[in-house]
Amino acid sequence: MRVETTKGFESWLRGEPGQLAGSGLEWLESQRRTARDRLRGQGVPSSKQEAWRYTSLKGLLEQGFAPIEEVVDTLQPSDLERFLIPGLETHRVVLVNGRYAPALSALGELPKGARLSALNALLESDPEVVRARLNQVAGAKQSLFSALNTAGLDDGLVVILDAGVRLEHPIELIHLSIGMDEPRVAQPRHLLVLEAGAQATLIERYLSLEGAAYCTNAVLELSLGRDASLQHERIQLESTNAFHVTGLYLSQDSGSRYQGVNLGLGASWARTDLVTGFRGEQAECGLQGLYLAGDRQLMDYHLDVDHSLPQCSSRENFKGILYGKGRAVFDGRVYVAKDAQKTDAAMSNRNLMLSERAEIDTKPQLEINADDVKCSHGTTVGQIEPEMLFYLRSRGISESLARRMLCLGFAGEIIQALSTESLRDHVTEQVGQRLESAPLN
Amino acid sequence: MLSVSGLKANVGEKEILKGLDLQVGAGEVHAVMGPNGSGKSTFAHVLSGREGYEVTAGSVTFEGRDLLALEPEERARLGLFLAFQYPVELPGVNNTYFLKAALNSIRKSRGEPELDAVSFLRLIREKLKVLHLDDSLLKRAVNVGFSGGEKKRNEIFQMALLEPRLAILDETDSGLDIDALRLVADGVNALRGPERSMIVVTHYQRLLDYIQPDRVHVLSKGRIIRSGGKELALELEEKGYGWIDAGEQAA
Repeated sequence: MRVETTKGFESWLRGEPGQLAGSGLEWLESQRRTARDRLRGQGVPSSKQEAWRYTSLKGLLEQGFAPIEEVVDTLQPSDLERFLIPGLETHRVVLVNGRYAPALSALGELPKGARLSALNALLESDPEVVRARLNQVAGAKQSLFSALNTAGLDDGLVVILDAGVRLEHPIELIHLSIGMDEPRVAQPRHLLVLEAGAQATLIERYLSLEGAAYCTNAVLELSLGRDASLQHERIQLESTNAFHVTGLYLSQDSGSRYQGVNLGLGASWARTDLVTGFRGEQAECGLQGLYLAGDRQLMDYHLDVDHSLPQCSSRENFKGILYGKGRAVFDGRVYVAKDAQKTDAAMSNRNLMLSERAEIDTKPQLEINADDVKCSHGTTVGQIEPEMLFYLRSRGISESLARRMLCLGFAGEIIQALSTESLRDHVTEQVGQRLESAPLN
Repeated sequence: MLSVSGLKANVGEKEILKGLDLQVGAGEVHAVMGPNGSGKSTFAHVLSGREGYEVTAGSVTFEGRDLLALEPEERARLGLFLAFQYPVELPGVNNTYFLKAALNSIRKSRGEPELDAVSFLRLIREKLKVLHLDDSLLKRAVNVGFSGGEKKRNEIFQMALLEPRLAILDETDSGLDIDALRLVADGVNALRGPERSMIVVTHYQRLLDYIQPDRVHVLSKGRIIRSGGKELALELEEKGYGWIDAGEQAA
């Protein structure tokens, strides 16, 4: 074990940097280099660091993940069919193992002023567009995994909506993982820019073709202009042997609205960092989440909500269902700067424990430096109420179905935050299936 | 239909039921009356299989089966229904989904096919009318934000849908004003039939003005100390429970 730990993330940095997208672009090479140097300088974080206090990197390091060099282009549109959600009409962008798959994608018709493209292609055709935006939002606060992503940056989705452009249908980003012979990591990098008054819905889905062990390390940089509005729905349904990492960085101009719904339903080890900041007043940010964790599963969420300006509001609402020996971490931090008066923030984390062997480490924190604010936080850890269970059973409903109904009722608040009925039905079914196979204690 | 004999039950260390006997025939409506603490609700809960009660002696036979050996859901599938004194709120659990799950669980156990969405909704609307309930109730979470009257009517609505052989109404009149009481009673009366028996547990005679019982039993300190026709309820109303207790002590 010591050997792997000392090697750290060296295997992730393997490969010829010259083969990555946009090689020869000095500004990009420089960003990659900076990230590599930082990673090598910092080493592997230990549990003494607050951000990694409850979550061990040991299992992940032991896999010795390496970047994916092979491009999988053998999939046919028919292979994708079983993953499509009936009744959901979208601009569909499919990535396979981190790389854009044009044959599987269906971008559809886009209004004027809307740009949807693969990062790799855009670095070829219009690198300046990328240069102006890459690492602008993630820059200062980049975590370990985001630096890894930058060092291996190669492909992903780029969405740019000009001022006032409104997309009628959601953009659906499907990230499909296919197991390779060796443990591989895909590091998609997504950029989304909504100029003033633009509106869109983005649905992100992380899926796998089979139960392989792999890692996805995704980074998103989202930038909302004045009065822009983004509904962002993320469904993590990775293979139960997979590792999943998301680093999401959000920047909001005045009057903009962001509603994020994070559903953590798969993977054996999943780490999500949501980092948000306001660049103007009167902006609203909503972060909601639902996670399920059973045997051999860890769901780890870190929220960093920065109220540096006055008159903005944020809502953080995460719910978890834990069973078997499932583990979860909720580490939520809302920071209110000295001059951020009239900040309105409320953070909540509620957990339903179906088993005595499950574990949750929850730590919502408010750090308030202004004196005229409305801020609250709360956390609960509870079990299914025997009263409720008895009520259902007294109506002829079996104990296992009754438990499932109560769990779905608990999860329902978050599922209802999804914008389309077909997606709500899909998620309800997925959650129901997961709970059906869950042990009853 | 139901035969209770020598039933004794504890809550914790305390004996609440101290040898209760009761026979209910098919189609009969029995009222069980008694002062607070006499064991009325405990009796209703023991019959329905709620946790937290320990039966120490006696037997309960329902439809020829040993009722006490069955899980709550098995009792329900056999045709037992408890209308709760305090219906439980189930946040996030949609009422329609709940009703469908209950009905189909019971139908399945009887070897009947599950109802599809269309036939289910038709059935639901028919039953709603009987209880004068608005169908907006179907879209809401079970009992969440319901008024006291709505909760009680929702109980009787479930009873109408599940068509039990034996319904136990546990203080269904408590907390209801006279109009709500009338609606609930009308609903219950509409469900009376030669194949359906009822045990109406109540503190007050008031409900029995609307639901006329075949037999009235007075429960005191965990035993039935007096049984009679519906005139017994009126006599109780006039003289109060003190009359019974005094009579028992003198006897």
